Amino acid sequence: MKTFENVLIHGFVALLLATSIFPIAWLFMVSTKSPLEVFARPPVWIYKPILDNYYEIFVAQRFDAYILNSIVISSCSTALSVAIGSLGAYSFARFKFRGSRNIAAWILSTRMFPPIAAAVPIFILWKQVGLFDTQLGLTIVYAASNLPYVVWMMRAFLLEIPRELEEAAMVDGCTRLGALTRIVLPLARPGLTATSILCIILSWNEFLFALVLTSMSAKTASVAITGYITAYGVKWGEVGAAAIAVTIPVIIFGLLAQRHLVRGLTFGAVKG
Amino acid sequence: MLKSFGDKQHHNKNLFPFLLIVPSLALLLAVNIFPLIYSLFLSFESWSLVKPGDRSFVGLRNYVEVLTNPAFAEALNKTLIFTAVAIISEFLIGFALAVALSHNLKGVGAIRSVILMPLVMTPVVTGLVWRFMYNPEYGMINYFLNLLGISTTHAWLGDTSTALPAVILVDVWENTPFVFLILLAGLQALPREPFEAAQIDGASRWTTLTCVTLPLLKPAILVALLIRTVDALKVFDIIYVMTMGGPAAATETLSILTYRFGFLRFDMGYTAALSYIIVLIIVLASQPFVRSFFVSET
Repeated sequence: MKTFENVLIHGFVALLLATSIFPIAWLFMVSTKSPLEVFARPPVWIYKPILDNYYEIFVAQRFDAYILNSIVISSCSTALSVAIGSLGAYSFARFKFRGSRNIAAWILSTRMFPPIAAAVPIFILWKQVGLFDTQLGLTIVYAASNLPYVVWMMRAFLLEIPRELEEAAMVDGCTRLGALTRIVLPLARPGLTATSILCIILSWNEFLFALVLTSMSAKTASVAITGYITAYGVKWGEVGAAAIAVTIPVIIFGLLAQRHLVRGLTFGAVKG
Repeated sequence: MLKSFGDKQHHNKNLFPFLLIVPSLALLLAVNIFPLIYSLFLSFESWSLVKPGDRSFVGLRNYVEVLTNPAFAEALNKTLIFTAVAIISEFLIGFALAVALSHNLKGVGAIRSVILMPLVMTPVVTGLVWRFMYNPEYGMINYFLNLLGISTTHAWLGDTSTALPAVILVDVWENTPFVFLILLAGLQALPREPFEAAQIDGASRWTTLTCVTLPLLKPAILVALLIRTVDALKVFDIIYVMTMGGPAAATETLSILTYRFGFLRFDMGYTAALSYIIVLIIVLASQPFVRSFFVSET
């Protein structure tokens, strides 16, 4: 009975793993196939991979411009939100002032806010102040969108660092700012890393605000992909190449940093 | 002299923690509060970007029009069905996987790497991949079904009765890893004593599961539930790419509906009212969760 159960469990896990990996593997295959092979029935599993699709989107259609936009916007918004949010998180972790709990709860609750509801007013406002279709415009929006995550996670990480360390440093003559940079910052590095990785991934993958707030100049990679869905149908080979180009960075990032990522995702949720 | 020094210290102590959160508040004020207020005023106006000059104050008329439009009730219905089915599926599979792996920890690192992929994949890309997989002639879904003996060329995304389930499946594929990760972390953090006690008392595995594991896991379950519920209610990316709300509004959720009125019809006043109603639904429903979570933590 125990072995049957073991087989069942292993089978279940194996099935889930296969299902998780198949779509991305298959997408990769599509991106390296010629149009004939893409639509071949039965599908070809063994073929000679070609780079024509990649050439088409990068060289002929300058897809790299959109990737660059994504890189700039993701990194800048992450830097901004982690810097701002960590300061706030430090305040919530160390001090108890009037209204701190309410303010913290409010900041966290903005995560619940449906982006589409903010899309219309921000669209109009951004157009009026000249932030429409600019990298800065989207950067500001992403920094605000990720702020709740930063505050939530960094607060949890900072609570783990005993305040006695800073107090000891201050007794020895350090200012609070000095204690912050010399004691807290190095200890908070894993937390900052986990938080930053999460923010980069979230910004890179974001779609709705990028769709609504950009046009030709600041268009991000995730929006540019949808440009291949035309009225005549989808250009699957090129879409495949673009899709792989867009999603591979995040996957690699996620794999390299998975321990940090998982820690960040679950830290605020689960203690220990 | 000493007294004034003491005052300065006290004053600084009060101001410093507040100063630290000012940047956060300023940012959220600009991107969250201000647009919210602006949206409120917009919602009382009749303003379409198609006829920009024609702009007037109409009071609550937009709200009445939104609520009496059958499309709203339909979208709310689709959204609630989507959320309920997706969440239940994600929790069943995620919990099963977490329990299966919490006993048998070898290879968890590698398994986690693979399981992470649907979660970090760009949702637009996820939608596109599945759109091709659902393709009636060239898609892999029908191909595998044919291999298993079920001969079909069903247009999963083109049929009004299968479009919503098909889209829900994609969301489940995408987000079960998240539930799994949280529940696994929760399981691994549980103390051993209750389980040893249960074993001594001769509890069956099912009883242990329901009377020991689940209650102890409640905090993790609640967090995962809250996050997933709110995110499912907001769903947009995958539907935009796979069906754009179709066919015949079969997959038109609240977000898609709002997008349609705001950025395809450009009816700003109407959309502002619609957005407000949606915000009220989602934010008010989640406030008690957030408040209680925060209180119980500290």
